[in-house]
This record gives sequence, structure tokens and C-alpha cells, in this order.
Amino acid sequence: MRALLALTVFGGGVAQATVVPALRIGDVAPDLPLILVVLLALRRGPEVGGLAGFAMGLLQDAAGGGIIGVQALTKALVGFAVGALAGELLGTQPLVQVPGLALLTIAEGLLRFGFLKLFHFPVPFGELMIYVVLPQALYNGFLGAALVFALAWISTYRRQVS
Amino acid sequence: MKIRRLVLLVAIVGVCLALVTLQTRGYGAPAGDVVALVTTPIQAALAAVPRAALGAWSVYLDWKGVRAENRRLRAEIQRLRVDALWVTEAADENRRLRRLLDLRNRLPVATLPGEVIAREWGGWVRSLTINRGRGDDVKRLTAVISPDGLVGRVVEVRLGASIVQVLTDPSSTVGAHALRTRTPGIVEGEPRGTIRFKYMARDGAGLAIDDVVVTSGLGGVFPRGVPIGRVRAIDDRGSALFHYALLAPMVDFARVDDVLLVAGEQMLDFAAYFPTDG
Repeated sequence: MRALLALTVFGGGVAQATVVPALRIGDVAPDLPLILVVLLALRRGPEVGGLAGFAMGLLQDAAGGGIIGVQALTKALVGFAVGALAGELLGTQPLVQVPGLALLTIAEGLLRFGFLKLFHFPVPFGELMIYVVLPQALYNGFLGAALVFALAWISTYRRQVS
Repeated sequence: MKIRRLVLLVAIVGVCLALVTLQTRGYGAPAGDVVALVTTPIQAALAAVPRAALGAWSVYLDWKGVRAENRRLRAEIQRLRVDALWVTEAADENRRLRRLLDLRNRLPVATLPGEVIAREWGGWVRSLTINRGRGDDVKRLTAVISPDGLVGRVVEVRLGASIVQVLTDPSSTVGAHALRTRTPGIVEGEPRGTIRFKYMARDGAGLAIDDVVVTSGLGGVFPRGVPIGRVRAIDDRGSALFHYALLAPMVDFARVDDVLLVAGEQMLDFAAYFPTDG
């Protein structure tokens, strides 16, 4: 189980720069590590969510060539928050998953923006939100919901088999 | 539990802030190197996956395309082969009919073109059936010729067809003479499908291989001068009354498709209308 978790974390972190470009629609690519962080946090709680977010974000930073630590921090915070609020959220409902993941993407984008501003990095807020964060939020919402469905189907199938 | 979470959160935030601070102060390279040490091999391995998948997909698409193209080309080749056969057949027929028409236009008598619709090649009887019959006013014993020479004579007239006895029929006899030596004789069909020239020994001196034998016109059935065959071998029977020469027919009876029925005057000399080189 731990190996699977490690694989998910490492794989998810690196997949963003290798596999995910193949899933692009137009110029919009989903943030797969963020989706995985949210899923892990919902199932495993804030510690795993936070650590997974940190590790995946770190790998994503390194793989993407950005400032190492920015996405590690934002994704860790998202994972931590989602894990902490998992009991309050109806994470298994599609009507929650799509907008929930979209909102979390926007929140992560805002966090990243704020963090970069803190270190005086020039980031155009409006363009970033319109062309990157919002389309990605929508994509993440649907892809995340599809993943949740797939996982639910797999676990049902496994239960039936066993 | 809550303290552990808080410590973890603070630690993560602290590490991240430290990393960013180090990088903004120019110490980013070592941190990046350490992370890259772990990520680069995984990245390389993962990058190969979509490439391989895309490669396989592309190969599959190519294969599918080639298969479809192969099917289409096979069908096209089949169609073209049939077309080519039609063209060859049409060209061949055109050539044959041109020759026949040319002969018909040159001949000084009325002729009726006919098409061979059946062949009897059993050995007992050797005949052709042509698509001209009583309705075309075909008469029994009408001479049948082709651009190469004599084919035979009509032996039976039916409503829409006629039976032509060819020269190789065992019961066929045609009055003939050698074109060069004027040796008179009779051309007879043989059961084995060949024809022979039967002539009197005293008249046959000088007959040689490759001499052309033509119709003599005697008897009034066949016009004079129509090529029958070429001497292939001479059977010299010493003091016998008759000698024989084996002939190679001018007409390939197995392949002749179009013929002319000589309907008009039979007593004319046709020698000038057939190339014999002899």
C-alpha cells in the first residue's frame, strides 16, 4: 500500500511534465498532481495530503524548471486543508467533485500567485487567471470526477471479486 | 494529533520558504540539482511511455491505412486486369474484323460475313457453326473463306445458323493445284486433323516444300485461287499412281472467329486477293 502511495506521489509529480502534455485540449493541460493530492487527502487525511502535496509539488517544480518550493508549498497547503476538511466535504458526489476541484485549482492558483508576489516575482494576475487558471480549473474538475468514478468502479469490482 | 499536524505543516512551510529564499538569493542550483537527481530518471522513463504509445498508435494507424490501401489497390488491379482483357480482346477483334472487311471490300463478288459460334472438333467430324442461316439466304455448299484462305463449305443450313465442314474433316475433298507448278490434285482431310494434297505422280514432278496449294475452281463449289495450305512434307510413293503432300493449312481452324460466305459468282479467280508469297 505504501509502495502504491509512493508510486502515486512520484509518478504524479513527474507525470505532469511527461504524460500530461499528451492530454492537452487546445493549450489547456490539467494539473494532475493537484487532483491526486486532493484524492489522497480526501482518503488519507491531512498528513498524507500535505506530504503528498509537498512531494508532488516539489517534483513538479523541479520537472517544470520553476522556482523549487512554490508548488510544493501551495499543493501541500491544499492537501492539508482538504485532508483536514475531508469529513465536512461530500467528496464522493459528482456535483461536488467538479466544482470542488475547480475551486481548489483556483485557490491553488491564487496561493501560488500570492506566494510569488511575496517574493516580488512579476506575474500578470488577470491574464494568468483567464488563460491558465480558470481553464485548468474546469479541466481538473472533469478529469478529477472521472478519476473518482474510475476508482469507485475499481473498488466495487474488487469487492465483488473478493 | 493536532500538534503533529501543526508541526508537519510548519515544517513543510518552513522548508518551502527556505528553498524559495535560497533560490532568490542565488543558491538555487544545488537544491535544483538534488531534486533533479531523483526526478530526471523517472522523467526519462515516463517520457518513453507516451512516445512508445504514440509510436505504437502511429504504427497501428499506418498498418490500418496500408491494409485499406492494399484492399483498394487489389480491387483496382482486378478491375484493370479485366479492363486490359477487354481492351486486348477488343483490339484483337478489331484487327480481325478489319482484315475481313478489307478482304470483303477487295473481292469482286458478294460475300456475307459470319461469326463462328461453335466448333465440333471430335475427330469424326470437324466443323464450325456460324451465325448465318436460312434467314440470311445462305445456300448449301457455299464456300467459306477467311483472310488467310479457305475454311470449308456449308454442309447444312438451319434457321439461324449454318454448319461449315472444314478442310480437315475426314470427308472433305477440295479440287486444288499447286500455285507454282500448277500440279492438279485433290486436298483431303484426314482423321488426325491434318490435310494432304493427293496428286498424280506424273504431274507432281517439281513439287517442293513450302509450295502453296490453292483451290482449282473445278466443280464450281469453290472460287479459284483461294489458298488452302503449304507443303510441309512430300510422300513419294515410287511407282504408285498417286503421290501425297502433307499440307499445313493456311487457316487456323481452331482459332478462326470470323469468316466470309461467298454468295456470288464462284467461277472467278481469287488468287490476286490473297497474299501467298509464292
